[in-house]
Amino acid sequence: MIDVDDKIMSQFKRGEMGSNLECKYYPCHYYGQNCTHCFCPFYPCEDNELGKYIIGRSGKWVWSCQDCYWIHRDDVSEECLRRFKGKDWSSMSIEQRLDIKKEIEKKHFKRAKPIMVLGATSGAGKSLMVTAMCRLFSNMGYTVTPYKSQNMSLNSFVTEYGEEIARIQDLQARAARKVARSHMNPILLKPIKDDISQVIIYGVPYKDMDVKTYYDEFLPERGDEILVSSLDFLKKTNDIIVMEGAGSPAEINLSEYEIANLRAAEKADAPCILVVNIERGGAFAYLYGTIMILEESKRKRFKGAIINNMRGDATSLEKGIGDIEEMTGIPVLGVVPHIDLELPSEDSMDIKDGELGSRYIIGVLRLPRISNFTDFDALSLMDGVGVKYISDPKEVLDVNILILPGTKSTIEDMIWLRENGFEKALKQAHGKIPIIGICGGFQMLGKTIIDVNSVESNIDSIEGLGFLNCTTYFDRFEKKTIQVEGHLNTDPLKRNIRGYEIHMGRTENETDPPLNRVRANGKNSDDGAYDPDMMVYGTYIHGYFDLPPARELLLSLIGEQERLKDDRIDNKQMDQVIEENLEKLTKVLEGSIDIESLKRIVGV
Amino acid sequence: MAKNVMFQSTLSGSGKSLITAAVCRYLNENGYNVSPFKSLNISLNSYITVEGKEMGISQAFQSWACGKEPSHYMNPLLLKATGNAASQLIVNGSPNREIDRKDDESWDILTAVVRDAYMHLEKKSDIIVIEGSGTPAEINLKDIANMTTAEMFKAPVIMIGDIDTGGVFAGLFGTYSLLENRHKKLLKGFLINKFRGERSILRSGIKIMERELGVPGLGVISYQRYKFPEEDSLSLGATGKITSVEDDVRDVWLNNLDSFLDLVKRELRFDVLNKIIENGLS
Repeated sequence: MIDVDDKIMSQFKRGEMGSNLECKYYPCHYYGQNCTHCFCPFYPCEDNELGKYIIGRSGKWVWSCQDCYWIHRDDVSEECLRRFKGKDWSSMSIEQRLDIKKEIEKKHFKRAKPIMVLGATSGAGKSLMVTAMCRLFSNMGYTVTPYKSQNMSLNSFVTEYGEEIARIQDLQARAARKVARSHMNPILLKPIKDDISQVIIYGVPYKDMDVKTYYDEFLPERGDEILVSSLDFLKKTNDIIVMEGAGSPAEINLSEYEIANLRAAEKADAPCILVVNIERGGAFAYLYGTIMILEESKRKRFKGAIINNMRGDATSLEKGIGDIEEMTGIPVLGVVPHIDLELPSEDSMDIKDGELGSRYIIGVLRLPRISNFTDFDALSLMDGVGVKYISDPKEVLDVNILILPGTKSTIEDMIWLRENGFEKALKQAHGKIPIIGICGGFQMLGKTIIDVNSVESNIDSIEGLGFLNCTTYFDRFEKKTIQVEGHLNTDPLKRNIRGYEIHMGRTENETDPPLNRVRANGKNSDDGAYDPDMMVYGTYIHGYFDLPPARELLLSLIGEQERLKDDRIDNKQMDQVIEENLEKLTKVLEGSIDIESLKRIVGV
Repeated sequence: MAKNVMFQSTLSGSGKSLITAAVCRYLNENGYNVSPFKSLNISLNSYITVEGKEMGISQAFQSWACGKEPSHYMNPLLLKATGNAASQLIVNGSPNREIDRKDDESWDILTAVVRDAYMHLEKKSDIIVIEGSGTPAEINLKDIANMTTAEMFKAPVIMIGDIDTGGVFAGLFGTYSLLENRHKKLLKGFLINKFRGERSILRSGIKIMERELGVPGLGVISYQRYKFPEEDSLSLGATGKITSVEDDVRDVWLNNLDSFLDLVKRELRFDVLNKIIENGLS
């Protein structure tokens, strides 16, 4: 054992932390593991929650901790280093070391404690409540993760690992001070057309499915397995899991295999909190109805309720709250006021038109399958600029800049655009106002979109708008999901831009120069195209406007860059805006709900 | 005595105004002299009648749907938020500063205003289609516009549930459960609005609701995207002056209403509704 101890001591002294990616055994426990304690100071801990005795190759009983994640968590590793600091560790007995283990376990649980937030209706504010709780518990020093078993959204995000998950889970991960992983949202459904969605499992596209197949075949077969495996991983690597439901848990006609709500709570054995939105009235009725319509076994999971989105004086609700607590037996933890935040939006319902009175209007074409419209959040943050979603061809010429956004189905939306008079309007606008395409919108700007293998639709080939000299090919059923960095070719300073690509198909430039130079996975490549007079350009990058260079280009096109100083987020980038808003949100939650009760419900 | 029926909902913005307008139009097509009525409207979008009286834009629209010139009797109380928790109360078409809505005496005055306006309409109508305001189950508020109105005019109530944001059955069940017993008796039916998708999946839920609420489901109405005057939109401007230019807008609205009514005729059980109107609360 002596040389093992020496190894650990020397590691301690060097302060080596994190994953050892060069090790040929990596990842011996899990991807992302912290290898600081490659040799565990508590071995053999004989803790049955972390390992077990097996018969080794020599035929003798040996303690196996192959499935132990605990010591390989960053928080546990760091705490361990702190506890052993300055102590002569090699002279300590195993009992003494295990006492230290016990101390660490008080704060860093071997199995995460779950809590689930459900909404009486969609749009009740669940997502933000989960976001705030992630930050709240993280601020208390716990290791927290968000979780939503199944999300239906067109706004997706690509993780560092190249996995596609719902954008909101990335925001929640940031709130938890975590890097987003597909475990946090193991199933993502991206609606393609009525009743059909692309099913993405653990960040990878699986299949396009209709609702019936999904609920009647896919979920009964694979639902629980995905639910349990993702939850199990998160339980082993966190102190607290803040879970989010989807829609209302009280849909009496839902499939028993529905994994998004109470089935997930059951599998995780999570206490539940119901969020009710008071904005449209009926909050008490929805609270009572949701709780009381559930079977008793499910009702018992609910340990608290939150009334959200209150405008005006919350004291007017006091009597009603007392009555409803008595009628349901469930305490109301608080009334959260309506707050305006600058955070990425989740559903298409949240699309807001630019504030009236903006000096400059950036029009975004509201395609039927519009995706990743969080790209434009950064634009609406600029002073004097309003983002307007355009659903009438007549409005096309009324804006200063027009953007064709990303879409879930380029070909279908191209047809829609043509059939609904937008092509004509765009051709009139061409050359008069700058037209920008992002992702699917970029594909539409080219001459032709070719899909002979029916990757995206049954149409072999369709004409694009022809504003750019390029052609898009959907030649393989292959989806590109990757984070990129790089710079604008038009930027003499070559300042950094970053973002992510989510698309099928590839686009070949014929004569137009590429818009950006990007790096991904260590490889350099070209992205996008522009027409030399800059009246038309397009890119595959989502999040394109998050950093200043792309916004500056846009503003220079309005010819107003000098006057319209984008000072608000020139020096404060999107990340900082998000960080400030996360803290603001968390403060509001702390100020309006009973945190002690919440902690008791979680069990911390 | 005119017959009547009242539409209330479990959430504001559930489509009450529009369904009320469609039912007005339907009854009018069937030869009845119909009037819309809403005791209290909370809106910034108002309309000015030929007499120069101010009323809610929705009741004006419903009145056109009945083929009638709008009258302030159709909406005797209009509350206009003027910012920071302050509001202006319009009584019988004119601003009133004297009534403090919070004291008990004013409650009597306001109910009297509502009663007089209704009685005025009743003399000239076969059927009055009443619209509630907000939701009836606000256990923290004293509410004139919903069950108080239904009780006053002995109106059978149809509850509208909005399925667009989910939880529709919880909303219907919860709203019903929180009503006082004497108000529960006024409920004669429910319907589901703003539905998208495959409707057969609702069958079992509707059965359960019919059993729990003890009243029939009147149908499931599809989500629609026609343009109508929205109480909360700015389409008519704050003063609500209607000029000749906007007459065209009115035609658009009514054409849209006709298209919506075609849909409602397929999806709403008018036979059951007609019987409810015929029988009243007896």
